[in-house]
Amino acid sequence: MKRQNKTVTFLVMAALGLSAVAMIAVPAMAESDTIKIGMTSALTGPYNEFGEGNRRAVELAIKEWNERGGINGKEIELAMLLDDQLNPDRAVQNMRRILDNPEIVGIIGPAGSGPTLAVIDMAEADGRPYMNPIAQTPMVTYPDGTGTTPRRNIFSFALQNDVEATAMGQHLVENFQRVGVVHESTAYGVTGLDYLTEAMKEAGGDGPVASDSYNQGAQDMTAQVARMNRADVDAVAAVGLGRDLAVLRRTMARLNVNVPLIASNGALGQPFQDGAGELVEGVQGTMIGAFGQRPMREATQDFVDAYKAEYGVDRWWGNDEQNPQLFMAISVSNGYDAANILFEGIRRAESTDPDAIIEGIESIRDYEGVNAVYNFSSDRHHAIEANGVEVFQYVKRGDDYPLVPVGEL
Amino acid sequence: MDFFLQMIFSGLSVGAVYALIALGLNLTFWTTRVLNFGQGSVLMIAAMLTAVMIGSGLNMLLAILISLAVAGAVLIISEIVAIRPLLKVSGSMGWVVSTLGLGIFLQGVASLAFGTQAVAFPDVLFSSSASVQLFGAWVSMQYIAVFMISVLIVGLMELFLRYSTWGYGVRAVAHDPDLASLMGIPVRKVVLYSFMFSGLLAGVAGILVSQISGTVDPGFGLHLLILAFIAAVVGGMGSATGALIAGLALGVLEKLIAGYYSPAAAHMVAFVLLVAVLAIRPQGLLGKKEMVKV
Repeated sequence: MKRQNKTVTFLVMAALGLSAVAMIAVPAMAESDTIKIGMTSALTGPYNEFGEGNRRAVELAIKEWNERGGINGKEIELAMLLDDQLNPDRAVQNMRRILDNPEIVGIIGPAGSGPTLAVIDMAEADGRPYMNPIAQTPMVTYPDGTGTTPRRNIFSFALQNDVEATAMGQHLVENFQRVGVVHESTAYGVTGLDYLTEAMKEAGGDGPVASDSYNQGAQDMTAQVARMNRADVDAVAAVGLGRDLAVLRRTMARLNVNVPLIASNGALGQPFQDGAGELVEGVQGTMIGAFGQRPMREATQDFVDAYKAEYGVDRWWGNDEQNPQLFMAISVSNGYDAANILFEGIRRAESTDPDAIIEGIESIRDYEGVNAVYNFSSDRHHAIEANGVEVFQYVKRGDDYPLVPVGEL
Repeated sequence: MDFFLQMIFSGLSVGAVYALIALGLNLTFWTTRVLNFGQGSVLMIAAMLTAVMIGSGLNMLLAILISLAVAGAVLIISEIVAIRPLLKVSGSMGWVVSTLGLGIFLQGVASLAFGTQAVAFPDVLFSSSASVQLFGAWVSMQYIAVFMISVLIVGLMELFLRYSTWGYGVRAVAHDPDLASLMGIPVRKVVLYSFMFSGLLAGVAGILVSQISGTVDPGFGLHLLILAFIAAVVGGMGSATGALIAGLALGVLEKLIAGYYSPAAAHMVAFVLLVAVLAIRPQGLLGKKEMVKV
């Protein structure tokens, strides 16, 4: 009996020992096999327009790198893909899970400013390279404003609020005298108004003559539009999401307010086009210009061909089979560029050490991305500048309303 | 003056929709003493179905009729599944959670069936650009149509409840369901019909509001439900005329505050009004005081 007990004890000890070895060995082997990436985004829910688009882009970038042999001989793997539905609480939980995994080499962040601001401090404290594909608030990258010291490990591929405002402000000052601003009541809308005011003054104008806010999901904006009309504006500028901008446009039509509407990038997406219908005609909007150029830059055209081959003409591509919608620049190709720059940084670092990767990214110059040509340095962690942003206008051609650069009208 | 009139007309239009939804809440409250917190999702289901069916080429009138039938059926099922079983337990407030849960379930079903993105709602009544000048102010034909349809329905419902046999039945059940049953009134049938009509009213309201906003998504309806609930309480639970007056007053006050002071401040109006009425006249503007003998 005693002998039997000893045998059992030996077997148990041996099993525990082997398990311990296996537990240590498995991560080490996995680490040596692949380069693991973590991502949290709005994969489902009402804002998955951005999150799902980014997932497609990141997976396309990974596929292309792996087909070329990976990074320095190692395959890339999207090891953690988590859904936060643009909910800050859920984004924090997801980011905790990603950061608790020591095998994750780089992180692709959430699809909006709310969840990104909720996770950015913990990501910065962790120190691993973090790519911000969409969140427009400059604070994500530069806590004290663009031009000041960036967070060490955060790189942004978003169309930053201040960058977009610079392009819009200049256009408004050059073309209108009395501009009224309607904006959503979120941080995005409120800071959007501040940046726009600043940009208009820098461009030599006086700033808006009137401004009003609305809550996301508002079903009627009679008060806002009537107040703009009473202020005798000659243009309404707007900062918000596409669906709400459609309500604004419809309300303007109802009250017979016929001044031009110049809106932030939300006006160039499908929700605005669906909601506003034929009222899109004449509406202007700011957007990264990459997909509006003819011919497109080579890197942009390559991405367009690769996306169409992989996913076909889908919601992110848009209704025109021949031409991808401009909105792809902030819902898809920004994620593609973010992933590519991360992988390029790892390639240059020849290591998965966070500091080496960050230095690798900061050494990138004249990189031909889809949305722009990228230059990074220790002081410059954002990708898109005002010269990469254009103002587009919906024009009626037959039954369609294509977007044309205002400069070409 | 035209600024003032624009605020008044849009306020009347929005307020009439609040009244319509409030009347639906009242109907089920009269017969079962239950407030359906899932009503917002019924608005959404009717509007979304209408948008999707018209978008897929179905005749507009047929699409609206089917959507309204579905809205009515959803409320009947709600009563059977989420309310009646809980009312059997004396003093139970479980219906608060069950009706709220049913609303969330309906949102999930809509997300699964139609996606989470907003769906474009077609111009059913007039186009957004159709406006007329009244006393110098541009007023949308959509606002006028929404106002007239809503007020007409609330008025007809009030007449129906006052003078029809079914209306007497509803009032009898509201007063004392046990006594009504002893008098030969088919209480069960009256309750189910009240839920069906409540669903129809919610469906009409959903379609009318979507006409204004231009899109509908699974999250649509909750905000409207809160404002309609306030209109019902301010007007006096159980009074259709009270709901109409309170709904219109709420809509107009919201727009006047938004227009003359600030759109951001308009969101407080409903809650300030609610607190004021509850403090001064707890039974609401036209509600009757309830005496409870112990």
